[in-house]
Amino acid sequence: MKSLTSIFAVFKKELKIALRYPSWFMQLIIWPVALPFGYIFTARALSGKDASSLNQFQSMTNTTDYITFILIGTTIWMLVNSMLWSFGSRLRVEQIRGTLESNWLCPVPKINIQIGHALFDLVTNLIFVIVSLIEFKIFFNFNFAGSPLLAFLVLILSIPSIYGIGFIFSSLVIWAKEINSMVFLVRGIISIFCGITYPLTVLPNWMKSISKIIPMTHTINALRSVIAAGANLHDISYEIKFLILSGIILMILGILSFSYTQNKAKATGSLGHY
Amino acid sequence: MKYKHYLHAIWAIMKKDAKIFFRYPANAIFNILEPIIWITPVYFLSKAFQISGKNIGFAQYSGTTDYMAFLIIGDVISSFISSVMWGMGFSLKNEMDRGVLESNWLTPVPLLVQLVGRSLFSLLMTTVNSLIVAFIAWRIFGFTIGDGIMKSIVVLIPLLIALYGLGFGIAALVLITNDANAIIDITSGALNILSGQQFPVTVLPRFILPISLALPITYGIDAIRGILLNTRTILPINIEIGILVTFMLIGTFVGYKILKKVERHCKTVGNIGFH
Repeated sequence: MKSLTSIFAVFKKELKIALRYPSWFMQLIIWPVALPFGYIFTARALSGKDASSLNQFQSMTNTTDYITFILIGTTIWMLVNSMLWSFGSRLRVEQIRGTLESNWLCPVPKINIQIGHALFDLVTNLIFVIVSLIEFKIFFNFNFAGSPLLAFLVLILSIPSIYGIGFIFSSLVIWAKEINSMVFLVRGIISIFCGITYPLTVLPNWMKSISKIIPMTHTINALRSVIAAGANLHDISYEIKFLILSGIILMILGILSFSYTQNKAKATGSLGHY
Repeated sequence: MKYKHYLHAIWAIMKKDAKIFFRYPANAIFNILEPIIWITPVYFLSKAFQISGKNIGFAQYSGTTDYMAFLIIGDVISSFISSVMWGMGFSLKNEMDRGVLESNWLTPVPLLVQLVGRSLFSLLMTTVNSLIVAFIAWRIFGFTIGDGIMKSIVVLIPLLIALYGLGFGIAALVLITNDANAIIDITSGALNILSGQQFPVTVLPRFILPISLALPITYGIDAIRGILLNTRTILPINIEIGILVTFMLIGTFVGYKILKKVERHCKTVGNIGFH
């Protein structure tokens, strides 16, 4: 019960800060359309005025609908990006403001503070996905060829992997005392290897091998199959199994790395350094 | 004498920024890696449309099959845009968070001079970064540019000065809202997209194209591409340069006036310590 109180206290604090700085609302409205916008019109320019280049794209992706293809990739990328910023920056901001030490002196498990943040992110990410879908429908005539519930299931199954990476990431930020470059690195790996804008077939073989072990590649593949090609549960069973397994492994690794960092920081007294 | 002091102040701010920058060496490396990370997915996207290694479809809109050269030029210019925005707006927010903004404002150095100082180191690093990034991208992805580099720099200078006007406006907004990330992220992102960083603006829908054509930065990027790649430009290059010079004069004047007004307002209300 005590644990729940601390988790909800963090949730309440985050909500207060979010309402105090409402400009995030602008980002929520603008970015779901603005980020894919650049890629979609690049694809439009690359496809040319006749059909020859678009046919080439179709031969690799089995679709000429590059808009839906890109929207799915960029939405997953934005979810991961927002998770990285929130997990990494919250600890870092508290480090800079000098409140991290006093928060860590509270008699609650430190992981509860992170879980409180994660819970808040979960709610904002859910709002983000709903806003994105509405905007995609309005601006890009986005449609589900397959089951929206199955697509939702893929998203839910991806959460443990995404949050596991988040826990590992927040530990890294405490170590490196730097957030910007760490976010750029991790989200960069995802944007390069997970095929957010392009079919994985264009990658060299060594890059394909790396992309296959990143959970988000499987999230994007499964969502593209369900939303664009109407795949059913059986068709994406491999991706589903991969996401469950990677979720378990990454969550365990995340909690372990956070506990290790916490103990190490306490022992060396380096929490306040930045 | 006054100006000599201002130069001293600018030099001190640049030295401070350099110290902070090199204190976090991971930043220096990632400033180079980050553009490559942005370029790579677009490179692979372009490969998905290639026929026999050439972007034939792209040439139908732009006049060149070398999409990577087109992209790199857009990327270099947009990194200057971001540099001015973040260098001015975000540094104000940083100082707000660290609680040093008020004491800086109490020094006998005008806010304008402080802002210019903050953006200069950022611009210097952007120039160095852009050269390194362009070299790495040339080695990894391969592209060809023509021999009009000097002429393209002549176009870049009024564009950069004009961006300072925009930077003053952004700094004013940050002071009013006490928030930087969202404002700079959206403004910088929207400018990059609408001015054709990644694609020729002629592919934009009719209702967005007028916004794009109203942005002087569009003509800056277009003119530099026309000079270096011989692409089809929206207007004759001389006219595009004329638009840039006009923008430079009006933009810096209006940006300066807005900033002065907001500075007066903040001093009267006394809100710069709130965040």
